[in-house]
Amino acid sequence: MDSLRKSFIASSTALAFGLSVAAHAAPLEVAVDSSPSGLDPHIVTAFSSFQIIDGTIYEGLTALDPDLNIVPGLASAWEISEDKKTYTFTLREGVTFHSGGAMTSADVAASLKRVMDEATGSPLASRLAAIDTIETPDDKTVVVKLTAPSAPLLSSLTTIAIVPAKYAGDTETLQRAPDGTGAFKFVEWQPNVAIRLEANDGYWQDGLPKLEGVNFNIVPEAATRQVGLTSGQYHMLPNTDAVTALQMQSQPNIKLQDTLELAYSLTGLNVTRPPLDNAKVREALNYAINRDDLVQAALFGAGVPGGPLSPALKGFATPTNELACFTPDPEKAKALLAEAGVTTPVELELLVLPRDDTKAMAQVIQQQLAAIGVNLTLDIPEIGQFVQDWRNSEFDMFVSLNSGTIEPDDYFYRTFRTGGSTNVFKYSNPELDALLDAGREETAVEGRRDIYKKVQATLACDGPVLFLAYGQLYTAMREAVEGYQIYPNRSLGSLKSVTLGN
Amino acid sequence: MSAPASPPQAQARSKRRPLLSLYSVALTMIVILVLVALAAPLIAPYDPLGQDILQRLKGPSSAHWLGTDQLGRDVLSRIIYGLRSSLSISASAVFVAFLGGSVLGLLAAYYRGWTERIIMRLMDVLFAFPVMLLAIGVIAVMGPGAVPTAAAIAIVYTPIFARLLRGPALVVAESDFVLSARSIGASDLRIILHHILPNLVSVILVQFSLLLSSAILVEASLSFLGLGTQPPTPSLGMMLSEGRNFLFLAPWAAIFSGVAILIVAFALNLFGDALRDDLDPRLRQS
Amino acid sequence: MVFLRRLRGRLIDLAFVIAGVSVLVFGFIRMIPGDAVAIMLGANAEVTPERIAAVRTRLGLDLPIHEQYVAWLSDVLRGDFGVSIWTGKPVIDEIAAHVWPTLQLTLLALATAVILAIPLGILMARLRGRRGEALVQAGSVVGLTVPPFWLGIIMILTLSAVAPGVQMLGYVPFSQDPLGNLARLILPAIALSLPIMANLARLLRSTLLEAMQQDYIRTARAKGVPARRVLYRHALRNALIPFITSVGIMAGYLLGGAIVIEQVFAIPGLGRLILGAIAERNYPLIQATILLVTCSFVFVNFAVDVVYALIDPRISE
Repeated sequence: MDSLRKSFIASSTALAFGLSVAAHAAPLEVAVDSSPSGLDPHIVTAFSSFQIIDGTIYEGLTALDPDLNIVPGLASAWEISEDKKTYTFTLREGVTFHSGGAMTSADVAASLKRVMDEATGSPLASRLAAIDTIETPDDKTVVVKLTAPSAPLLSSLTTIAIVPAKYAGDTETLQRAPDGTGAFKFVEWQPNVAIRLEANDGYWQDGLPKLEGVNFNIVPEAATRQVGLTSGQYHMLPNTDAVTALQMQSQPNIKLQDTLELAYSLTGLNVTRPPLDNAKVREALNYAINRDDLVQAALFGAGVPGGPLSPALKGFATPTNELACFTPDPEKAKALLAEAGVTTPVELELLVLPRDDTKAMAQVIQQQLAAIGVNLTLDIPEIGQFVQDWRNSEFDMFVSLNSGTIEPDDYFYRTFRTGGSTNVFKYSNPELDALLDAGREETAVEGRRDIYKKVQATLACDGPVLFLAYGQLYTAMREAVEGYQIYPNRSLGSLKSVTLGN
Repeated sequence: MSAPASPPQAQARSKRRPLLSLYSVALTMIVILVLVALAAPLIAPYDPLGQDILQRLKGPSSAHWLGTDQLGRDVLSRIIYGLRSSLSISASAVFVAFLGGSVLGLLAAYYRGWTERIIMRLMDVLFAFPVMLLAIGVIAVMGPGAVPTAAAIAIVYTPIFARLLRGPALVVAESDFVLSARSIGASDLRIILHHILPNLVSVILVQFSLLLSSAILVEASLSFLGLGTQPPTPSLGMMLSEGRNFLFLAPWAAIFSGVAILIVAFALNLFGDALRDDLDPRLRQS
Repeated sequence: MVFLRRLRGRLIDLAFVIAGVSVLVFGFIRMIPGDAVAIMLGANAEVTPERIAAVRTRLGLDLPIHEQYVAWLSDVLRGDFGVSIWTGKPVIDEIAAHVWPTLQLTLLALATAVILAIPLGILMARLRGRRGEALVQAGSVVGLTVPPFWLGIIMILTLSAVAPGVQMLGYVPFSQDPLGNLARLILPAIALSLPIMANLARLLRSTLLEAMQQDYIRTARAKGVPARRVLYRHALRNALIPFITSVGIMAGYLLGGAIVIEQVFAIPGLGRLILGAIAERNYPLIQATILLVTCSFVFVNFAVDVVYALIDPRISE
C-alpha cells in the first residue's frame, strides 16, 4: 500500500515535471535575448531583427558563404560591363514569395527602389547610392546602371532583401508581417514571447528546408537561456558571447561553434566637446587603453584587439602591430595630455550600450583611463534612450558594439565622412573625405587597398573613435542539431540546412 | 488599519518576554551591519572597484573569502560596499518617505476638513498603485540610477506613513492634553512636535524598520531588473544581477549577494517585528 | 442603512482614486524621456523629421497635452484603449494575451501560500512557549524576507543540476497542456508564495494564541468540548478577517513579485509586457496596462472593504 502510494507520487511528479521531454522533434526551438524592433528588411538593421530574418525569411540577389565570399543568391548569374558601370543580373527560376506569386524582375527593381526611396528611410540607402537606373528588359533580367564604378555593389546587394513589388510606399506591413522568398515563412509574432516561422514548401532549393519550422523564443535572462539549453527546452542559443560559451562547453549534450565576428566594440568620441576636440587628447586616450587587457577582461580572452577594419577582412585590415597607439603607453598618454594643455583630472561621461559585454568594457575602460587622470562617469540608459542620445550626439563618449560589414566603404563612408548619416561624432576631416571619395571610384583591388590603408592610418590613433576589439562569436546548441554553420555577420541563413536528430 | 482607541503609550506592555531574545539578536545584527557599512573603507580587504583579471571568477579562498567576480573584484569587499549603498539608498528613501508622509499625515489630522480630504485622497491615489509598478514608473521617468531608485521608494512609501500617522494623530489631537495645550495658546507646530509626535515614536519605529526591510528588497528587485544602482558602484541587488550571468561558472557572487540581502532584510524585519510585539500585541493585526 | 451610506462614501472615494490614477498614469508616460516616435521608427539616422511628424500626428502626440488626455479618457470610457504603436493590434488584445500567465501564476502562488500556511500557523501556535519557538519565529521572518527572484534562480540552478532535462521555463496554456502548464508554473509560484505564506502563518498563529485567551474557549474547554476542534474552527474563522483585508495588499505584492520572477522563468506575462512596453515607448500599451492593473487593485480593495463590512458586524452597525 505504502509503496504503491510512493510509486504513484513518483510517477505523478515525473509526469508533472517531465511531460514535454518526449515532445516531437521539430520545430527548432531557438532562444534569443531580445525582441526585434521590427521585421522589415529595408528598415531595421539591429542584430535582434537581422538574425531572425536574414537568409531565413529574406534573401538578396547575391549571398555570402560562411567565409564571406560572394555567391549567387536570387540572381543565378551576373555580368559586369567593361566600364564597370553596368551590371546585368539573371534571376533564378522557380522563386516564389511567401504570399504567393513568382518573383520577377519587377519585384527586384521595386525592392531596390524601395530602399533608395527617401520616404522609406532605409539605413541601407547609402549602400545603393551609386545606382543611376534600374531596367527590366524581361521577367528574368535586371540591368543596374551606375553613375560611377562601385566596387562594393555586389557585397551591398547581399544585404538588400527582395520583397514583392506591392510593398512600395508601404513602410508598415512588412515590419509586422514579413513576406520574402526564403526557406522559412512567417507565422506569427507574439510580442516579448516568440516569433514562429514554418517551412516554406515552395522553396526554390530542392530538399530545403529540412526543419518543420523555427521558433525564436525571446528570453531576456542569460541564466534562463542557458538552463533552457541544458534542459533541452531550447535547441540553440545563436550568436552568443564567450561567457555563455564558457559556461556551456562543459555541459553534456551541448556543442559549440565559433568564429571571429565582423561586429566590433568601439568607444566613440564627440569631437565637438572639449577636450575631445583636440586630436592630441584623442591620441592620448588611445595610448591609455590596453586592448589586450580589455579583451581578457570583458571578452574573457575570446577576441582580438582590432583597428578600424575587422581582421576577418584579410586583404584590407591593417595589422594592429602597425598601429602605434595599439601598444599601450600610459606615460606617453600623460605627455600627450600635457602637450594638449589639458589639466587633469578631466571629468567626462561615458554613455554605455546596455549589454553585458559593453557594460564590462565600460568598467575596464573607466579604470584604464583613470590611470592617466581621465575620470569617467558611466551612464547606462535603457536601449531606446541610448539610441536616442547616440543619434543626437548627446554624449562625451560612448561605448558600443557596431555591426561590421565586409565592405570597407559601406562602413567608413557613412560613419566618418563629413555629414555622413551615422557620423554621430561630428567628425570632419577634408583629407579623409577625399580618400573616401577616391575609394568609391577605384575598382582595382590594389588601388583600393592603398586607399583604405591610408584611411585606416588616418582614423586609427587620433580619429573620433577608439577602436577596441573584435569578439569571438559563438553558437551553443544541442548535440542533436546537425548542419548548422555559424556566420561572422550573425546571419542564421544556414538554418535551412539544419536537421534535428534525437 | 483602524486607529487604536487610546494613545499607544497608555497600553500595557506585553507580559511575554521570550521574544526579547530575538529582539536583541536582531538589534545586535543591525548594529553590526550598520557599523560594517559605515566602516567599509576600513574593513574591506580590497578596493571594491579594483580589477584583477588574472584572479577573476575564483572561488572562495584565503585571499578572497567570498571569491571574485567576473572582473576579478573581491566579492566580500563589494558586498561590504554594496551593503553601504543598499542601506543608504533604502534608509534615505524611507526617511524621506517618513518626513513627507508624517508632515502630510499630521497636517491632515490636525487641520481636518479640506486639507485632510485633499491630502488623503492624493495618498489614496498613490497607494492604489502596486509598489513595483509605481517604482518602475518613477524610474522610467527619472532614468535608472541610485537617486531615482531612492526617489521611487520614497514616493511609494510616503502614503504609508501619511496613513499610519493620521490615525493615531487624530486620536491624540482630540485628547485632553492637546486640547488643554491649545487652550493655553501653544502654537500648532509646538503641539505637533512636543505632544503629538512623541506619542507616536514607537509606531513610527516599528514601521520604519519594517519598511526599511522591504525597501532593501525593492532596491534589490529594481537593480535586478537593471533599473536600480548602475555599475561600477556595487549595491547588493546589482551584484546579484551581474552575478546571475555567471551562475554556471561562478555562482558565489550571486549566491552571497543574495544571502547578504536576505540577512539585512531579515534583521530589519525581525527587529520591527519583535519591537511591535513587545510594544503592542494588538498592532500585529494591521 | 449605515452600510449603504458607507458604501456610497466608498464609491465616491473610488471614483476619485480612479480619476487620480488616470491623470497620474497619463502624465507619467509623457514625462518619460526619449521620443517615442523616433525610437519606434527604429531610431536610425535616416528617419526623416517629416516621417516623425506624420506619425506623431497620427498618434495625436502633436496636440496640447490636456487635449490628448481628454481624447484618451473619452476613448477609454468607451472601452477603446487604443492600438499598440508596435504591432498595430488593439492594446486590449495584447493585455488579454499576457494577463493569463500572470493571473494563473499569482493565483497559484496564493493557493500554495494558503494551503501551506494553515498547518504551519497551527504548528507555530503549538510551539508557543516551547523550545524552538524563537527558531520558528525567526524562520518565518526569513520566509518574509527572502527575495523571490533570488530563490527562483537558486531553484532553477539546483533543479537543472539535479534533474537535467526537466522543462521548467516558459509557459504553455492550461487548455493546451494542463500538466506542462502546472510543471512550468509550480516553481515560480512556490518562490513567489513564500513571503505570503510566512505572513499568513504568522497571522494565524497570533489569532490562535489570542483565541486561547478568550473566555468562551476557556468555558468550552471547561465543559469538556474537545478543545482543539473548537479552537481551530473558531480561530480559523477569526483569522479569516485580517486575511481578507490583506488580500488587496497581497495582490499588489504578488504582481510586483511576478514582474520580477517572470523575467527569471521566461514567463510571458504582464511583467514582460510592461517592461517591454516601457523600453519601446509604447504609450497606449503602457497607459492601458498600468491603468487596468491599478484599477483592478482598486476594485479588489473596494470589494475587500465591502466584504469586510458585511462579515464584521461591528463595522456594518
